[in-house]
Amino acid sequence: MTTNRPDNTTHPPQTDQTPSIPTANDGSTATSRSTPASTINANARGNKTIVNSNTSTDSPAHDSTAAEASSDAKTDEMLLTVENLKTVFDTDDGTVHAVDGIDFTVQRGETVCIVGESGSGKTVTSESITQLFKSPPGSIADGSVVFDGIDLASRTEDELTDIRGARISHIFQNPQGALNPVYTVGWQLIEAIQLHRNVDDDAAREDAVDLLNRVGIPEASSRLDDYPHELSGGMKQRVMIAMALACQPDLLIADEPTTALDVTIQAQILTLLRELQADFGMSIVFITHDLGVVAEIADRVVVMYAGKVMERGSVYDVFESPSHPYTKALLECLPGRGSLGGIPGSLPDPTAPPTGCRFADRCPYAVEECTVGEQPVFESVGGEARDEDIEHEVSCVHYRSAADPSVLDQLDADRSSVPQERPSGRTVGTRDGEGGVARE
Amino acid sequence: MATYILRRVAWAVVASLIVLTLTFLLLYFTPDTQLAQLQFQAAQAGDDPEAIGAAYESYHGYDQPIHVQYIEYMGNMLSLDWGWSETRSQPVTTAIAEAIPYSMMYAVPSILISSVLGVAIGLYSATNQYTRGDYAATFFAFFGLSIPDFWFGIVLFVLFSGILGWVPIIFDTTAATFSLENLAQFILPIVVLTLSSIASLMRYSRAEALEYVEAEFVKTAKAKGVGDWRVLTRHIFRPASVPIATILVGDLLGIILVSSYLIEVVFGIPGLGTLSFEAIRDQDTSLVMGTVLLPAFLTIVGNLAQDIAYTILDPRIDYGDS
Repeated sequence: MTTNRPDNTTHPPQTDQTPSIPTANDGSTATSRSTPASTINANARGNKTIVNSNTSTDSPAHDSTAAEASSDAKTDEMLLTVENLKTVFDTDDGTVHAVDGIDFTVQRGETVCIVGESGSGKTVTSESITQLFKSPPGSIADGSVVFDGIDLASRTEDELTDIRGARISHIFQNPQGALNPVYTVGWQLIEAIQLHRNVDDDAAREDAVDLLNRVGIPEASSRLDDYPHELSGGMKQRVMIAMALACQPDLLIADEPTTALDVTIQAQILTLLRELQADFGMSIVFITHDLGVVAEIADRVVVMYAGKVMERGSVYDVFESPSHPYTKALLECLPGRGSLGGIPGSLPDPTAPPTGCRFADRCPYAVEECTVGEQPVFESVGGEARDEDIEHEVSCVHYRSAADPSVLDQLDADRSSVPQERPSGRTVGTRDGEGGVARE
Repeated sequence: MATYILRRVAWAVVASLIVLTLTFLLLYFTPDTQLAQLQFQAAQAGDDPEAIGAAYESYHGYDQPIHVQYIEYMGNMLSLDWGWSETRSQPVTTAIAEAIPYSMMYAVPSILISSVLGVAIGLYSATNQYTRGDYAATFFAFFGLSIPDFWFGIVLFVLFSGILGWVPIIFDTTAATFSLENLAQFILPIVVLTLSSIASLMRYSRAEALEYVEAEFVKTAKAKGVGDWRVLTRHIFRPASVPIATILVGDLLGIILVSSYLIEVVFGIPGLGTLSFEAIRDQDTSLVMGTVLLPAFLTIVGNLAQDIAYTILDPRIDYGDS
């Protein structure tokens, strides 16, 4: 998978995939590609008024028809808008702030990868969309998850049950445990079909065979009567995908679907997901810590650390010009690139998140300003965007309009001249960019 | 699967034969109290105790070689000729048959109530872990496990019969099986027995279901859009039923057989427990054997049922004959 790393501009990783995304059966996706970047940016930054008008389309509050039309257009483009989402878990050791105010968007037909190390809140984020986490102790403390004009965060359990599996599907990391051992594959597949679609047993069975065929399971009709323990891990993951597709969802949430599989099967599953995305025109939220996988499938990348988004942008921007020190460090950890030692230090205590930037403690570029206040607000990275539809933003003080991000490169140069020096916390960085020339 | 079940049945038969053989050997080497009594009487009357003894042994066939006695004994056992109860002056099988209905009158309701309620409360506890309901159920379970049956029975008996007078003090064998009068005299035994058997079922169901509440396939089911009730009954209870079946048959049977002695003696119910207790007290050897063999066979049958239940409930069990 490392062969596909987008470290070579002449061969972007998406060349084989990008044309497949705006499919014929979803015209809005195609138009979204040509929408001016400024419109998208307004959404990506989380424009509250747009969300409100979407959730109350039946209210006559809108006096401007033009505004309503434009907000409707944006609803079409944005399948999922997550704003200031906070998911907490009440434990004996205190409240765990697993996801602590994150924002990201998913357009129709696109693939969004959420990356970060273990414990950064990726899985909780994915489970917060339809509130799959165990509750109690888990709960959404704040924020909104607007899916196709519906705020899922404020919906009742019954309403969410109707959406789960029908419009938003999940596949999970470990196919070995994700299928119920006491029911046949067919039973579980037919259950998924009949939960949301009013079809009789025979029709559901036919659909189940079709689905298994579609995900590449040979002899589908006889496999239907197999129990999960009679299938290999890759086959089980295909069954999981078939179940997720049973009702042709708009959004597929894949939580590390290839992590538990061996490399050849990983590649097959990724190829399958890409084909299915082209066929069904669905959006995919893909959770992974494997940057090689990200390079293969992502349109948009969201880098998470300790429950916060550090950086987000198109896959080209994030890989070609990683801006947040955490993203830089993650990319450094790829085999064949720089150090094999990993990022020194460990995640902050999730029950008592530090002030300032969550990554400051481990950041080689940290300055005093990094440790005070809240996580820095998102700043545009600037420079030449490689995908003009997707804003490249970063949550780092070095990118504030008064700061000079080239200080990072400066420090890099300093570090490489003294290679044995290890970053040792907050004292390493200096802020010589202060009062300097503003960017742009 | 057919081969597997046949093999289990064959093993059940072998286990029964071993039980019978052990019983035979125990009886063979046990001094005969009746013989001793006869010889004592003969000696008092001036007769020859040795001659009386020989006549007695020859009458009962006790002078035959051991293998002849063994075959005779096994034949009697299989033809349900389990001997003569000297204290009750009736065949052992008749005495047991008369006692069984009284035991069933409280054991059957108790088994039904404790298995249904025990599993239901256990599942509730698992899905509502660390809530007030769970704590209440846990308290109830440990109360039931900790309190001795006979003591709790006596307390209830004194309270409801002696002080409040709500239920009769003397057990009335003439009451019709399905009558309010019968219910009144069986309600306390049912409560006591249910309390002691429900507790372990509850805790066990809770533990088993908890294992699956967190299971990934339950999350899959939830992600598919399965509602809470269906998740509980189809996706949690169904896989949990495999291990729960074990305790349902094995443990429940054990608790009820053991408790029946205490409960029947405390409440004066003329069931199997009382029969066995009196047989032991009066040294009625044939009756003791009969009342001990019956629970042994019940246990064997229970284990057989459990083995078969496994194969039906868990598709992962390999029958080794495919």
